[in-house]
This record gives sequence, structure tokens and C-alpha cells, in this order.
Amino acid sequence: MEIMDKKIIKEMERWIREIEQFFTQKPPEQIYVSVAVIALTFFVFLIVRLLKYSKSNTVVIAGLSGSGKTVLFYQLRDGSAHQGTVTSMEPNDDRFLLHSESEKKGKKNHVHVVDVPGHSRLRPKLDDFLPQSAGLVFVVDSLDFLPNCRAAAEYLYDILTKAAVVKKKIPVLILCNKTDKVTAHSKEFIKKQLEKEIEKLRVSRTAISTADITNEYTLGVPDEVFSFTQCRNKVLVGEASGLKGEISQLEQFIRNQIKA
Amino acid sequence: MLEQLLIFTRGGLILWTCKELGNALKGSPIDTLIRSCLLEERSAETSYQYDSPGAAYTLKWTFHNDLGLIFVAVYQRILHLLYVDDLLASVKKDFSSIYDPKRTAYNDFDEAFRQLRAEAEARGEEMRKMKQSVGRGPVVRGGKKQGQIRDAKNGLVQGVGKKGGKSGKSGGGKADSNGDSGKKNDSENRDSKSANGHTSNGYVDDTRVVLKSKENSISSSNGGAFDVNKLQKLRAKGNKKTGDINTVTKVSSNINATKKKPTKLNRVWDDAPSKAKLDFTDPVDGRGDEKVQVVVANEGESMMDKDEVFSSESENESEGEQVHNAKTGAKKKGWFSSVFQSISGNAVLEKSDLQPALKALKDRLMTKNVAEEISEKLCESVAASLEGKRLGSFTRISSTVQVAMEQALVRIMTPKRSIDILRDVHASKEQGKPYVIVFVGVNGVGKSTNLAKVAYWLLQHNVSVMMAACDTFRSGAVEQLRTHARRLDIPIFEKGYEKDPAVVAKEAIQEASRNNSDVVLVDTAGRMQDNEPLMRALSKLINLNNPNLVLFVGEALAGNDAVDQLSKFNQKLADLSSSPTSMLIDGILLTKFDTIDDKVGAALSMVYISGAPVMFVGCGQSYPDLKKLNVKSIVKTLLK
Repeated sequence: MEIMDKKIIKEMERWIREIEQFFTQKPPEQIYVSVAVIALTFFVFLIVRLLKYSKSNTVVIAGLSGSGKTVLFYQLRDGSAHQGTVTSMEPNDDRFLLHSESEKKGKKNHVHVVDVPGHSRLRPKLDDFLPQSAGLVFVVDSLDFLPNCRAAAEYLYDILTKAAVVKKKIPVLILCNKTDKVTAHSKEFIKKQLEKEIEKLRVSRTAISTADITNEYTLGVPDEVFSFTQCRNKVLVGEASGLKGEISQLEQFIRNQIKA
Repeated sequence: MLEQLLIFTRGGLILWTCKELGNALKGSPIDTLIRSCLLEERSAETSYQYDSPGAAYTLKWTFHNDLGLIFVAVYQRILHLLYVDDLLASVKKDFSSIYDPKRTAYNDFDEAFRQLRAEAEARGEEMRKMKQSVGRGPVVRGGKKQGQIRDAKNGLVQGVGKKGGKSGKSGGGKADSNGDSGKKNDSENRDSKSANGHTSNGYVDDTRVVLKSKENSISSSNGGAFDVNKLQKLRAKGNKKTGDINTVTKVSSNINATKKKPTKLNRVWDDAPSKAKLDFTDPVDGRGDEKVQVVVANEGESMMDKDEVFSSESENESEGEQVHNAKTGAKKKGWFSSVFQSISGNAVLEKSDLQPALKALKDRLMTKNVAEEISEKLCESVAASLEGKRLGSFTRISSTVQVAMEQALVRIMTPKRSIDILRDVHASKEQGKPYVIVFVGVNGVGKSTNLAKVAYWLLQHNVSVMMAACDTFRSGAVEQLRTHARRLDIPIFEKGYEKDPAVVAKEAIQEASRNNSDVVLVDTAGRMQDNEPLMRALSKLINLNNPNLVLFVGEALAGNDAVDQLSKFNQKLADLSSSPTSMLIDGILLTKFDTIDDKVGAALSMVYISGAPVMFVGCGQSYPDLKKLNVKSIVKTLLK
């Protein structure tokens, strides 16, 4: 046994000596360079990961089913709605240059836009994209507004009371879509209606219990009628027409959020 | 003749439609298909019927799961095109070869499609000629099991019934109601399911053709109708026997339960110390009138408003975690090759690969008390959505299946409309009408108890409630409600026993609008789903009074019967309704949830079969024991 141990120890010593010889033989610059390269890659990796986490550069498009989100997504990307759309079953997620900016010269930023399906069974998918979002577009159908007013207000209320939205103060753009049609409502009307509905919701949901299961935060100031100016995050209202391609207000919002 | 064939992505963009068949589709069949079928996890079915004023289409579809494409063919219902499945398969193969995620216009596919269609039509013609020459084969083909033969008979019954011009039934499947038409068409599609695979669709079509000719020869639809009646009678006889036995045992057990045995101990479900006061009967005089001081029940905050403490760490376990120990013993086709493939991640999932994992999952679901039929359909739907997909790197088949199943379950259990009753009550209040809720269900599920719990919860939210005792059949039912009303200090409308419940309900609603009650809770007698006269009485009550919410009360202990109960209730309500827009079950109240530990499958069965959300969960026998359903915890428990 002892002989075996001695033999092993001798072997190891020999190896160590060989390695030392190997290192001392090589010119020192090579060793320094190799160590430096390893350290550099390590640091670069760290920096990239840090940057990725702190940067939120996604704009999320949400809204009720049928309000025109997928059309707007493709307008932003390609400038046309192609052959039409059907109810989305999965989110559309892409990073691209805004189509209208493709002719412009100068520095162009890629934007990352996500179109989340509006069907109520797929609502949980919105939560996957909120952590990295820099702005949220809530699309409202201005044509068929009144029958869906309550559902739209509930969805908007849910979004505005989510922890991610309140804590990070994600700005929200309420986009009234389909304004090219004659019977579409104006954005002021829609804004007022939404405020009224959210006021009713607020009263029925907050004045009741201290621990509300579904909503994490409460909106507005008690004893005052709700208005979007009371939200801690910025809430804007805009108009657009997905089919006709008039999406300038939407593009402006996106550009503001991504550059910032 | 095909009406239209579309190819679109899962994200919703239409990639290609056939320009030759330029007919605009009436209504919105594709959107309805997506909403009522594909998103409801019924994608394993073979076809979908769409009805709208002016159009009756059948839709067939197929998926390409790897590229995320969906191919849908639409044609008129009265035609029976045999070549559609064939055509869809060949279109899928062809299109996948030219598909490019960056491209959005595929005009070159027109030519290829024209060829494919011509080929498919030719093949269909050949097949039909072959079949007709083989002769009128056995009328009921397909069905190696007894159950399947019965299903085929039912299918024939319904198929013939449709042809016989009973458009009332198919009218029930209205176009834009979410999930209702899907569920109805579920039963109608069973005839195509009884045949195996799409080639034998031809057989079923052939039998339909055969029956049609028989009808014509008899020169009246009575020939077909005779068969229908005969078959229905047979079925009804068989079911009535079991139904009667069930009613008798349930009624007797009910009577036993209401009798107060002095030596009976209070049942304790958890380790809470037993309450001191056991006897809640108030000292009353002969008639039981309010001649006593009643302490209004105040048992604390209803559990509806309590936050559900739920650990979210388990979410990370199943969501997207890749190297996971498979609990199911998935058969591996050679250990080394499968490990290698799971690392490289290029294996295309075949149905045979999915089978063992799916079977294990199905068994697990069934041990959690999910109805057998529902587990089967769910597993098939998940298989349909995974077939042809590429495995991600470092994933095992079983974990992929698990993730897909979890997503599907969350999708089903997420309510597709708002379950905020308080908001609805406020809306009704503004209109000046009382909000009417009707509680229906079979015997002994806990309707009256949970009605009191709902009343307690509403009272806590400053809503004025009124009860209506429309259970005029069971002895003690009116007194039971009267006791609850006294303890909660709310008005009750009663007319005693042996009165028509529909009329009692109507008068109760009028009374409520007179004394400005916000909500009317209507209690009905328990009834078996097969009992025709009782179901007729129930639908009369609902039609006469047009309630805002029809709550089906089902117990969480029910197993396969839950599926039967709900589907029959819905069917009867739809059939026997007089108005074109029939009222169906709007919500589910799940009771006795505290008695099942983790066998929570009944919730899934009920939601799947009816499409209605679970509004409340009863989890105990005192007033505050009413909760909301926590979707994530149920899914976690089901897949544990």
C-alpha cells in the first residue's frame, strides 16, 4: 500500500513539474494574452446580460378580440395588412424597423413589438410580456364601441391595476382604431365613456374588500371621479385606422418609448 | 364544391386563400371555428358545423404544428365532399415546402392548388364509384366496441333527424354563441367519429346516402323518423330504468338527511374544534312564524373576498423548465438515440412517440376524477397540437407533453367572459330591474345551502337580496329557505307546496321589483337530467322568467356523471325553449369542494363540456364557505 501511494505521489509530482516546465517555457506574453482574452469575454458576457435585463424595449399591443391589433402589427412591420386576418391564437412577436422609416436616412432603431391575442382565454399571455415592455398600446374598436364598452373597460382596468404596469409606470396609449369608417366614435367620446365605466368598476371593486383577489392595486383617488390623469403612469389617447394605414400617432408613441 | 380554402398562421395572418373560389363567406365561420372549437381544445374533432342566417357550412381543418400553420376548408353542409381530408393533407405537404416565415404572399401556390384539387376530386370520384358498386354495405359500419355502435346509432339518429327537416335542433346551435354551438356539434360530430379515419368518412356518408334513398323510396320523412323514434325509445327506456333507481335512492337519502337524528354528531371535515351550539332551530310556535328574536347571522367575511395564498414557485417547475425528471415512464426507443435526440433537439414528434406520454397523462387525469370521455378528448386535442412539432433542445417528450397539457388546461379553465357578478348586479340596478339568478341541478348537490351562501356574500357587499322558494316539491324545502332568510334577515317569497314553480318565480320577481330588491335568488327542486317532465317544467320556468344567470349546481364528487348531467341539462334547455335565443347554463357552482382532497377533476369535466365558467366554489357548510376558483392551483393539482 505504501509503495503504491509513493508511486502515485511521485507520478503527480512529475506531472506538476512538467506543467510548470510547460508554462515557463512559453513566452510570458502568450500567457498574459490568453488570460486577458478569457477575462475579457467574461466581462463582455456580464455586461451584455446586465444590459439586457435593464433595457425594456418592447411595445405590447393589447385589446379586445376583433379590435384590429394584428392588422396594426402588420401595418407597422410591412406597411400593409396583406390578405386579412383572423382571430389570433398566439402572440405575434417580431423585432423590425418601422416600415415608414425604411425610406428615411439616418440612424434607425429596431423596435420590438408584440401583438397579444385579445381572446379572453388567452389573456394570461399578456403577463409574459409585461416585464420587458416599455409601452403598452390598448386598441379599442371605435366602430363597435358601445356594445363592448364594458368588456373593454374591464380589460383596461385589469391592465392599469397590474403590479408590473403600476410599479414601472408603463405608459399606455389608448388607440381608437377603425376611424376611417363614418360611424366611428371620436376619441374624446371613447375616452369619456371609458372613464365613466372604470369609475363604476372602481366603486364596485375597491369600496368592498381590502383584499381584492384579482386586482393588485387600486386606481384613482377615493371620493373623486376617475380620470386618466389620476393614473401614476402616463395615459394618452390616439386615433388610427389599421386598414387604411393611418398609424402615424401609433408610430410616434412607439418611437418615443423606444428611444427613451 | 368547395366554398373556400384558407391557410393562416397561428398568429392570425391569412397567408393564402383560393382566388378561384371567390365566393365571400357569409357570416364569419373562421372566427367562430377558432373561438368555439380550436381554442376550446376540441381540435381533435374531424369537422365543425357553422350555421348563420343564409348559410350552413361545414369546416374541416388540419394543423402543421412545426411551422404554426392552420389549413381550413369550408364547404356547404348539404354536400358531402369525400375528398376534403385528402385535399387538405396534400395542400399541407405542398405548402410546407414553399413556406417561408418572412414571406406573406404566396401567389404562386394558386397553380399548384388547382392541380391538387383536380387530383383530389378525381380520387374522390373514383372512391365513390367504387363504393357504390360494392353495394349497400352494412348500414352501421365502424364500431368495434359496443359503445361505438351505440354512438353510431345516435349519430345516425341525429343525422337522419337533421335531414328530416328538424331544423329546430340545428337552430339551437346559433352562430356566435361561444362554446354552445361547439358543444352541440360535439354530439352531432360523433357520427363522423365512429368511423375510423378519414377514408371511412366515405362509409358514413354512404350510409347517409343510403338512408336518404330509403327515405325517398318511402316518399316521406316518416320512414327515417320511425327509426329515430324507435331508437330513441330504446335509449329512453334503458336510461329511464337507471334514472328512476337513481331518483329513488337520491330522494330517500335526501329525506334521511333532513330528518334530525338526535344522536348524530356534527361532521368535522378538518381539524377545527367543534362548535358549541349544534342545534340551530329557533324556539318557534306551531306554525314556525317569526315570533322570536333572531340573531342575524354574521359569521365573518365570506371567503370570496379573501386572498388565496398560493405559492408561485411551482409555476417555475413546469413552465419552460427543460431538463426535468419525467414522472411518467415514457417508453424510449433506445436510450442512447433518444437522449442524443433530446439534446440535439431535432426530433419531429410522431403520434407514436406521443402515445405513451399521453396515455400516462390520461391515466393521471382519470385518477383525479376527470371524466373518461373528457380526458380522452383532451389528450387527443393536445396530440393534434403537438404532432409534427420539433422538439426543442434538451427537452424530453414527456416534458413537452406536460407543458402543452398544462397550457391547454389553463386555457380551458380561464373563463371566457367576465364572472364579475357584482358588476352585473349594478348594471341591472341601473336599469331598474332585479337581477335574477336561478339555481338548477340534480338532487342533493347543495342548491339551497349554496343559495344561502351566495345571499350572505351579496349581503356583505351591500346588495339587497330576496329569496324565492320555487322548490315546491320536497318536504321542508320552503321551511329550510325560510330559516336561512330569517338568519340572514332578508325577505323571502314563498307560496307553499304543490304550486307551479314557474308562476311562483314570476310573482317573486314582480314582488322584488316592487320592494326594490337588487337580486332575486330562485331555488328549484332537484331533478335528474333524464326525467323528461321535470326538465320540461324547468325549461318552462326559465323561459317564462328570463333570468339573468342560470347557475348549474354540481358537486365536486361527481365523476363521469357530471358530464352527462351538464350536457343533458343544456340540451334540454335548448330543445325545449320557445324563443329563438335559448337560455343555456351560464355558470357553474361547484359544491362540496372541501370533501375532495385533490381529486378536483370534476371542475375540469364540467367546464369542458359546457363551456360555462365556474363562478363559485362551495367549500364547507357554513355561510362564509364560498370561494372563487383559482385556475392555477387547480391545474397544478390536476397535473401533480
